[in-house]
Amino acid sequence: METSKTRQGIHKSRGGLIRSFVATENGIIKDITISGDFFLLPEEALFKIIERLKGVPANREKLQEIIEEIYEKENIQSPGTTPSDFTESIMKALEV
Amino acid sequence: MNSSRKELRSLSSSKNFKKVLSNEGYAAHTPTPHKARCRFMDEWRFIDFGLVDIRDMMAMDEAILKGDEGNTFFFWTPKKSIFLGFFQKADVELNLANCRDYTITRRISGGGIAFSDDRGRQINYGVVGTIDNDLFPLDIIESYKQICGVLIDTLIHYGLNAAFRPINDVVVDSKKISGNAQTRWEGKLLQNGTLLLDFDIEEMLRISNIPKEKFFDKKIASIREGLTWLDRELGEQRDMEEIKNIMKRKFEERFHARLKTGTLSQREKALTNSLLPKYYSHEWTYR
Repeated sequence: METSKTRQGIHKSRGGLIRSFVATENGIIKDITISGDFFLLPEEALFKIIERLKGVPANREKLQEIIEEIYEKENIQSPGTTPSDFTESIMKALEV
Repeated sequence: MNSSRKELRSLSSSKNFKKVLSNEGYAAHTPTPHKARCRFMDEWRFIDFGLVDIRDMMAMDEAILKGDEGNTFFFWTPKKSIFLGFFQKADVELNLANCRDYTITRRISGGGIAFSDDRGRQINYGVVGTIDNDLFPLDIIESYKQICGVLIDTLIHYGLNAAFRPINDVVVDSKKISGNAQTRWEGKLLQNGTLLLDFDIEEMLRISNIPKEKFFDKKIASIREGLTWLDRELGEQRDMEEIKNIMKRKFEERFHARLKTGTLSQREKALTNSLLPKYYSHEWTYR
């Protein structure tokens, strides 16, 4: 088992700064939090994204697919920030 | 869309929206005569909370959004405090060792840190309104633009070149002078914002978790390029009450409403009390 330390990825969208803190184990997301000064409505939906990303293979396509899926399901609106911006932030944490 | 608009209209004619016929008010405030012809003027609640603890204020803020007292415009002046955006982490954003004499809490809307020092030279406002695609557009950026218009009209009154900068800023000559944050709940919106009358950049850097030391002077200079405040723009200190009164007037003009001073209802007070433990809790602020 190879557990990585928690690493931070920072990405700036037009709507704000997105900081991802990610730990992986054998290429799977073990733990993740996302913070920043972006806007996302309804706010609680971000926790749904975070919960859903735990246990997921840490690759761009999979992350993007899940985030888009929750955007649709929860009717998320995030002016100036897109699902790709969250993916980008998480990928930056993975690439550190 | 028409039917939903009718629904909203009928909602807004419920008990809390007293309609007041005011020919006089329209003659004085409405720039376009055709609007004056056939509209009744809504009466909206206005509250100035004065100097408050930010945790108490955030509880009242949420209670107004989730209460049922109709459209409301309010001011408050926070005691020395920092409030975090909904998604921010205190230990990531702040140099907590330098924040010991600040009261810190979190708000329910996204966006960045707002802080206020002892000088209190900033106007904090809140708006709660029913989203009706007329006064309060469904589109988030459009609704920011509409409410920020009150600040812009106020700044223009003082002869400044103020404009809206999407997503949620008001700028004077491209420098940010006001930050705003919005959340929504069951067909209503809550927007909070700050109009800076004075601002202490060094203090902001001291409490923020930004690496400094090395380029401190350069950093201050670059922040001064991007941020401004009313006292600096006008070259003098205007009386805060005077500015607030102009904001109220601009608000009435923009929203075709008459502001009537009121207080929190019993229900809002009860709701506030039930929300206080959250805003005072370590879990909420430092999660």
